[in-house]
Amino acid sequence: MSTSMKGMKPTTQDNAIQGPLGWGLLVIAAVVLLASLGYALSQLISSGHTSFNTNSALPWGQPIATYLYFALASSGLGLIASLPLVFGFKQFYPVAKRCIFLAFIVLISGMSVLALELGNVFRMLWAIPLNLQVQSAMFWMGVFYSLDLLFLLWKFSKLQGGEWDSKTAKQVGIASFIGVLLASGNLALIFGMMSMRPFWFDALLPIYFYFTGVTSGVAALVFFTYLAHGFNRQRMNPALQSLMTGAMPKLFAALIGGTLLFITVRAITGLYSNNPEINLVWTDYLFASPLYNAALVLGLLLPFVVMLSASLRNRVDVQLLVSCLVFLGLFAERFYFVVGGQVVPLFKGTWMPNLISYSPSATEWALTLIGWSLCFVLYLLGEKFLNLGDMPRQIAEKTPAAGDPAAGDLAAGDPATGAQASTA
Amino acid sequence: MAKWGMVIDLDKCTGCQACSTACAMENNTLPGESWQDVLFYNAGEYPSGQMKWLPRPCMQCENPSCVHVCPTRATYKDEEAGGIVFVDWNKCIGCKYCMIACPYGVRFYSDEKPLIEPDIRETFPSDNGQLWSPPYQNPEEDWRRGIGIQPPGVVSKCTFCYHKVKHAPEGIADLDEDNPAVKEYVPACVRTCAPKARYFGDLNNPESQVNQLIGDKHGVRLKDHTGNKPQVYYLGAGAGVPAFTPADRENDA
Repeated sequence: MSTSMKGMKPTTQDNAIQGPLGWGLLVIAAVVLLASLGYALSQLISSGHTSFNTNSALPWGQPIATYLYFALASSGLGLIASLPLVFGFKQFYPVAKRCIFLAFIVLISGMSVLALELGNVFRMLWAIPLNLQVQSAMFWMGVFYSLDLLFLLWKFSKLQGGEWDSKTAKQVGIASFIGVLLASGNLALIFGMMSMRPFWFDALLPIYFYFTGVTSGVAALVFFTYLAHGFNRQRMNPALQSLMTGAMPKLFAALIGGTLLFITVRAITGLYSNNPEINLVWTDYLFASPLYNAALVLGLLLPFVVMLSASLRNRVDVQLLVSCLVFLGLFAERFYFVVGGQVVPLFKGTWMPNLISYSPSATEWALTLIGWSLCFVLYLLGEKFLNLGDMPRQIAEKTPAAGDPAAGDLAAGDPATGAQASTA
Repeated sequence: MAKWGMVIDLDKCTGCQACSTACAMENNTLPGESWQDVLFYNAGEYPSGQMKWLPRPCMQCENPSCVHVCPTRATYKDEEAGGIVFVDWNKCIGCKYCMIACPYGVRFYSDEKPLIEPDIRETFPSDNGQLWSPPYQNPEEDWRRGIGIQPPGVVSKCTFCYHKVKHAPEGIADLDEDNPAVKEYVPACVRTCAPKARYFGDLNNPESQVNQLIGDKHGVRLKDHTGNKPQVYYLGAGAGVPAFTPADRENDA
């Protein structure tokens, strides 16, 4: 690869995806993508959105939750990338390029799901820019996520060209960081400004979205970074090993804890409130659902407890398990957030004697699968052809010093990789 | 310029649902796509239990949250047309944000599972871009105002029967179905109302009967705390809709 030859330490030979494993996974992901896309398109063409289980009383279902999940995971990844690229946290350089790439493809996957959810997707391309409804948060969602996508692509092209520290690269990095903040913050306000939907109405929702977005971003990053190295930390560059046994798991633990804190205070406020449009959502929908409780306990609480232990949180298998659990736990969180805002009928009446029930149809599940499989396909292609493990030469070639706290963590947490790091 | 308003007297309304039926016939709506419906509910318990009902058209709000959220201006408030809120079916992208933002639940996305079988959309399949094409249709189709039968993938709603109201003589204070000169211009739900619980007129005209009724009989607006300021007013007891309670916990303390 020309970029790695030019000025970077060649890291590609350690990449497991570039071998037969990558092709195998690519074939599986592509088959899932084609099957789910084929099924969803056949349903949408033959029966339109009647193949969804949403209705006029509950218009936003799992496809919207999926989009929300991907859009926020993308923003989270963008924010992690800004740690080294904007704020100078050098230990995160080894994942910066993969972060930017993942942020881009995760957003593409989310937007693809949204495109299949909309009633008239192509009309959007001219109707939104030509009508300039600046009062609508959804108008700004289009503006900010388009900018976000553009800056991510631009930033990635800079990194792909080996430009880590040029003035333009820095400026694009800052623009990308601001784009991410605006996009995900505004996405939160799409829900948070709806005073007629009290379960969502919350001025601090952008903070909650940033937090949970970064948490899902880290979950994706940890999983995909290990996948790239065949789930074997010894194949990683020492700088990356040092990150994955030092700052990354600590950050991950703190983020899961913060997410739990947010959910807890939202739950306490909701349970305390007399307003049935908030209270009933918690008592009769969320906490009444075994799946929600399972997602909360297994998807967030258990990972947090496990990650509190210094010896456990540095193990590869534990990190992988936690990232998968958090990934799924936060997916459930998004689903219950979107649906929870709509389950209480707007009016008491015989038409709606109980909470509105909703469970996704096969077509809606197919849309979710499209998002996941498209994300995998794009990721595997990127890992194969774009040298995502690239990092600045001085980081790649730096040997962790004896007094380096990260190196200490490394030695304590994983003797095998510690030995590797010390000899590197 | 007129500002069309509706007054619904709940002390006269019998809950017969002639309005809902007339609306569906006039506007060729699908089962479940009730631009105008009547909510029935009970409140309290013996000996003070009440049976209540509430007719519910689009409130054509003065400050409509659905209009604010629409990213394409497909939903708009047409001051030239008496302040009626329309959906331009040529611009609607089907994002359904307006349905989220409407506090009254009076917007419909008909590309959904049929309420009853057989699916009438399959009985009268589309032949010209409409969602379905029944043999009788309102001849005054106007997709820019969401009048007629919608194409797939858009949101629909009550238009105050603008295709009728727009023919009313300019400057008229009230469209009263008992006035032979204007009865053809009266919205279908108002014209059909047997107990004459509905009134339709110009809220900007101090002489209008709707203004007098609101003033004399203490007209109130539904969910006024939302700030949407409906152009539909309710008279009599019953506009205070109780908070939602699940049916199985109706009698809980």
